[in-house]
Amino acid sequence: MSPAKTARVSVYAAKKGVKSSTDTNDELEEWRRGKQLLKPKSQLDLSDAELKETIGKQLSTLNPQLPDSIVEFNYAAGGFISLPLPGNTVVVYELQGTSMHKDSEEARDQMVELGIDPSTFEESSESSLDTEPKAEAIEVKPEEEGEEATEAKEEEPEDEQAKPDKADEEPEAEGDGEGEVEVKVEPAKPPQKGGRPRKLTNQFNFCERAALTFNNPTRSQETQTVPPPMATFSANVLQWVIYDAYQKDFEAQQLEKELERERKERDKAPVSRHQASKKGQGRAQLSEAVQGRVLDCWKVLERMINQNTYDDIAKDYRYWDDPSDEFRDEEGTLLPLWKFTYDRTKKNTITDLEWNPYYYDLFQVCFGFFEFLKPTAEGAVCMFTLKNPSFPDYICMTESGVMCVDTHPRYPYMVVIGLYDGNVEVFNVQATCKTSAYKSNSVTNKHKGIVWEVKWAPDLPDGELNFYSVSTDGNINNWVLMQNELAVTTILTLFFAKESVPGPDGTHLKPKSCASCIKLHPKKPLIYLVGTEEGQIFKCSTAYSSMCLFTYNAHLLPIARIDFNKYNTDIFISCSSDWRIKIWEDNRLEPLFVFDLGDRVGDVKWAPYSSTVFAAVTSEGKVYVFDLNVNKYKPICIQAVVSRRRNRLTRLSFNPKLPIIIVGDDKGCVTTLKLSPNLRIPCKAPKKQQYLDQWTLQCMKLDKLLSLVREPVTLTFPQDLAGTDVS
Amino acid sequence: MADTEVKEQKEEPKKIVHTYPLVRHSDMAEETKAEIMELVVTACEKFSSNNEAAAKMVKDEMDKKLGPPFHVVVGEDFGFEISYECSNLLYMFFGGNLAIVIWKC
Repeated sequence: MSPAKTARVSVYAAKKGVKSSTDTNDELEEWRRGKQLLKPKSQLDLSDAELKETIGKQLSTLNPQLPDSIVEFNYAAGGFISLPLPGNTVVVYELQGTSMHKDSEEARDQMVELGIDPSTFEESSESSLDTEPKAEAIEVKPEEEGEEATEAKEEEPEDEQAKPDKADEEPEAEGDGEGEVEVKVEPAKPPQKGGRPRKLTNQFNFCERAALTFNNPTRSQETQTVPPPMATFSANVLQWVIYDAYQKDFEAQQLEKELERERKERDKAPVSRHQASKKGQGRAQLSEAVQGRVLDCWKVLERMINQNTYDDIAKDYRYWDDPSDEFRDEEGTLLPLWKFTYDRTKKNTITDLEWNPYYYDLFQVCFGFFEFLKPTAEGAVCMFTLKNPSFPDYICMTESGVMCVDTHPRYPYMVVIGLYDGNVEVFNVQATCKTSAYKSNSVTNKHKGIVWEVKWAPDLPDGELNFYSVSTDGNINNWVLMQNELAVTTILTLFFAKESVPGPDGTHLKPKSCASCIKLHPKKPLIYLVGTEEGQIFKCSTAYSSMCLFTYNAHLLPIARIDFNKYNTDIFISCSSDWRIKIWEDNRLEPLFVFDLGDRVGDVKWAPYSSTVFAAVTSEGKVYVFDLNVNKYKPICIQAVVSRRRNRLTRLSFNPKLPIIIVGDDKGCVTTLKLSPNLRIPCKAPKKQQYLDQWTLQCMKLDKLLSLVREPVTLTFPQDLAGTDVS
Repeated sequence: MADTEVKEQKEEPKKIVHTYPLVRHSDMAEETKAEIMELVVTACEKFSSNNEAAAKMVKDEMDKKLGPPFHVVVGEDFGFEISYECSNLLYMFFGGNLAIVIWKC
């Protein structure tokens, strides 16, 4: 900057300062107020006049700061020499241009280098227009730049190529001038081309730098994933292949369904807990399985031996029909066949007998006692088969005498028994005979008296098995087989019809009657009959727990058995220790038939093959068979089966298929008896109605018979002529 | 083994009563299998007279569901020997006369 300029600036600043001082004066005053200004000690105290005095200051071009008389040691001169004063100029900005004046030495050199004669160039330029120098100056620039670029690249051919271009350009630019120039330039070129062109670098403003980093060596690294697992598969599709596959699959499905159904049924019949516990034993179980197979072999062998031993009996059982029956009118005989005993229960009385509902040759025998003054230590329920009279197939020993048994009609391996001590037990003989699958709790839920009869009831809607039991404590209980316990419900408690008895401390006690037998109605699931030790028969319904539907004053002594007729379920028979057998019709107070057998009747049963045949056993060891169709007053067969003095017969049971009965005595012996042909005469169809089947005929036969004996209640009974006791 | 759509419609006397889908061979997961069976049933019922269209539909759906390279054969009579990616094979019968092979490779 020139000194004049700086002066101007400062003046401006002064002006500005004055201006601003007037502006800020007020503020300053305000600020100063109340403030003690500290003054430096050296400050002069000036009077107002002095303060108001104007002191002029002049700006000059001289820099008072500038050092003068600078010297430098000169080695050549061997002394100090003074240096000229440094100028007042200060370089603020400098830019080096690339253009040069054409008159300068450098431009001249360049022109020579390019092969242009500077003199001619000057000439032409002078002759050209005023704008020429400007154009020239512009023109040179690309030239030099191009050169620099080529220099950087150091590539000759391009450099050379660029030159002709420029040469071309030049004439163009000067095109408006004379063509002479062009002609003159041409010859100048060859010498230039021949000689190696010198590099024209600006040695002060040129720098070339390059750096090359290391190239890292390449390395290849690769990984490979495991290919997805492959497999091959092949098949042939033909119509028959498809058809066969469907057939096979369908069969398998059917089989599966069948198995499923079977499994469900098996689940319904609960297998005892003991089977579950057995599973854990492993080897023991295996050996048990082996033992079981060996046992099977022995059983077969045993049966073969028995068949040989009892060959004649087996033949009798199968073929022998008493030929004398043809000549004996209206009378028949019983042929004794096998006798079944079991050594351990020889002292027991047979308290109940029942054929298995599924296997016609199998029957259950209960071993208990009726002589209550001489109780036996243990009881048993044994299952005998006709094929093996020497030994029972299944033996279930119990701690107390077994008084009654019933086998489930659908699950023939589920056997329920009632005990002398009031307990009930359920055996799953298929699983094990050693322990019961279910047992009533002998402390909390058992009968408080002898269980006289147990009967399976139809399964509950959700498939649970249940049964009824009657006992001398007057309770009729319904037991349901839960998962692992017996649930008990007392559905009825029987009371005497008499008024309550005053107790010792003023309370009134209603005496209970003792149930001695029960029979479920075969068709109506709610209805059942209960016989008592007082000789009454109550017709009850499970729907009512407080009252009976009907009461028959049937007997004078305990009722031993009630049995429904197999053909007409309105008809039932009862027997009692008062020597009598009575046949009843539903809702009729008086019996239709009464038979006096002259001794305690232990059991009476309707025959399964005839509507009018029934059999009874008495304590004196006789079996009575009646056929009402043949003789309404007398039995058609009386046969002593055991010796009168030593043995008493207790129970009897008809085989549901075969013409045989079994009777049990008080010495633990079961006798099989075959009914002679006269005792099992089938119905002959009337000539008009040949097409009727046996069932209808049997029903008709009974109805016809009943119509003879049914009498209006108002009628007086005629004098009994036959000698039997008609009440 | 290429996926060939066998198209010939051979009319047989209808003595076959079973038309339910029947899996002959499969190494798929149970749920996938059920899903695909349903798909096949839908396709075969939709294009009951055009096995090619049925196969195409099944293939497209399978590609969408389980990733692309699926092959489907629908036909009545053919033989095949294929290599497939494990757990991606289903060989089933349907409709009493159709065999369907689905595999990924």
